[in-house]
Amino acid sequence: MSRRKKRKPGEYKDIELNIMPFIDIFSMLNTFLLFSAVFLSVGILEVQIPFLSNAPPEDQKDTRAFQVSVDVSKENVEIQTSFTKAPEQLQKFPFKNTKEGLKTFHQKLADVRKQNSTIDKATVYSDDEVTWESLSLVLDAMILRVEGDPIFAPVKDAKNLAKAELDAKTFLYQKIVMGSVMLK
Amino acid sequence: MASAGGGSKDTLFLNLNPMLDIFSILITFLLMSFSSDPVTHNVDAGIELPESTTIVALDEVPTVVVTKTEIVINGKKIADIVAGDVPEKDRTQGAIQPVFTELEKLGEANKRLAKNIKSNDPNAMGSTGALTMEMDKGHRFKLMKRIMLSAQQADFVQFKLMVQKEL
Repeated sequence: MSRRKKRKPGEYKDIELNIMPFIDIFSMLNTFLLFSAVFLSVGILEVQIPFLSNAPPEDQKDTRAFQVSVDVSKENVEIQTSFTKAPEQLQKFPFKNTKEGLKTFHQKLADVRKQNSTIDKATVYSDDEVTWESLSLVLDAMILRVEGDPIFAPVKDAKNLAKAELDAKTFLYQKIVMGSVMLK
Repeated sequence: MASAGGGSKDTLFLNLNPMLDIFSILITFLLMSFSSDPVTHNVDAGIELPESTTIVALDEVPTVVVTKTEIVINGKKIADIVAGDVPEKDRTQGAIQPVFTELEKLGEANKRLAKNIKSNDPNAMGSTGALTMEMDKGHRFKLMKRIMLSAQQADFVQFKLMVQKEL
């Protein structure tokens, strides 16, 4: 039986903690995480294309509905607002397709949405020569609310009111339809 | 100061605490970035994504990848891109025939999958009618329209267009 040596009170001994295994684990963990890390944050822009159907669209059956469309070319972006039935009251608001132009374009869209807050759908018609980079900037300006934009009322007839309220606080025009995607 | 030359018997103690501090901070940062997005996807080296202020995160890996030189669907090369467009032999009524054929197969598989899932929970079935597309920012809308048209014919009407989030 081993006899344990009793330490006298007041007697101290230096204890050295072996931190080498700790450093080894950290190094391995670091290497693994650095390899698996994704430094580019990727997001998505959600769009729809016209659905092929023989039935007339719901909003064009009987009612006179408000509609918003955006024409995109290399140099300009133009907002067009109108009604689906006469009197159509077509209005056009052209802007330059530049960084500054897109700011005022967004502000105008926010004004349009404020006046017709329950319509959250807009149709985009783009020229063939517009690059995806340029188009994505236009979509950005259309989809998201920015600081200073008014808070809109939720979309009418929403199934989930809580979600509709959250969407109204987040998005300007949430439903984007790529109108020019049609068979020749 | 301890010399490295012979003769001296001084012992050198390396202070490891700053290194451990750096390691701890680095690991904390990496662990946080590791779990922030639901889906992580390494963008193809041949693709430059446009920058966007979007807040919607990527929720599935892209099905259609459009690099500078080819269209890839689910990892399989489908068509070449020459001078920013597909060759004329692959085009039909403005759409791209091989892309349509491949997406039609995918659509059929999705429909079978949706049928086989017994669950009544719509979330369990996933978004079978949506396509996630990763496309180089330099491509023109003409090419995007051709791919969208092909998808439309195969009953895909919703698109999730991948962009690079501005940090």
